[in-house]
Amino acid sequence: MFKDLDPLLHSQLRLSVMSLLIGVESAEFSYLLKQTNASRGNLSVQLNKLKDAGYISIEKSFRNNYPLTTCKITSEGIKAFEKYVENLSEYINRRKD
Amino acid sequence: MENNFNEKESLKLIHEMIENSKAGFGKSSFFFLLWGWLVLFASLMHFALLFTEFKYPFLPWSITMILGGIVAGIKGSRMKKQRKVKTYLDTTVSYLWASFGITLFIILFSAGMGKISWKMSNILIIALYGFGTFASGGIIKFKPLIFGGIFTWIIAVASLFIPSEYTLLSIAFSVVVAYLIPGYMLKSKEKLNNHV
Repeated sequence: MFKDLDPLLHSQLRLSVMSLLIGVESAEFSYLLKQTNASRGNLSVQLNKLKDAGYISIEKSFRNNYPLTTCKITSEGIKAFEKYVENLSEYINRRKD
Repeated sequence: MENNFNEKESLKLIHEMIENSKAGFGKSSFFFLLWGWLVLFASLMHFALLFTEFKYPFLPWSITMILGGIVAGIKGSRMKKQRKVKTYLDTTVSYLWASFGITLFIILFSAGMGKISWKMSNILIIALYGFGTFASGGIIKFKPLIFGGIFTWIIAVASLFIPSEYTLLSIAFSVVVAYLIPGYMLKSKEKLNNHV
């Protein structure tokens, strides 16, 4: 049914992360955690999958001696997200006809 | 299990997350109110001191501007540390106020060097207040700031036709219109927005 949809994006948590990142310049791990209501472990795993696909970049640094993870969407990620939304709306339109 | 959500849920999710990440108003009213009160105090004090024997009537400026710089710097860096997400709006606004600061410095430097009169410097500064307020209002889509900016530009033009020392009162009037009134309106809007 969803054969046109990027399987990497067609997952609730990964899609949430991408939708959050598309509108901002960068976001911290704790922000994504709060907005998605996910567990730390799951979010971490999904972020790495998106990173491995080249959809986001992850920067690890420190603030006040605490590790700080900052995520950014890449241009490849933006393209993939746009494609996903395009396919999704095509699919919805097809169903309406 | 995770992949079994339908197209409607998918759209809803995208919509929800984009809404969540939409930039709020932040806490920029703090800076409008800080500079608003400091400039109001400095301009009125300067004007009052012109009628006394005091040698340095411009002294209130030096004190308030240094004080303002320190307080704004501390607050700004604290806010930056607390910020978990950086929006394009944040970047735009910070570049805007950095440009404002540099332009302000050039105007004050020109007047200090005697290249332009203090009256002209005051008028250009008022016009610059209008610029900062109008542009900020446009960026965060907040009408009181946009109107405040326009009104401030009118004050700047009108000030061309008044005696030099009275342009200090124009500055006082312009910060009330450009910073204080919209600043308090923005503050109440921020309270509403940040609590939802």
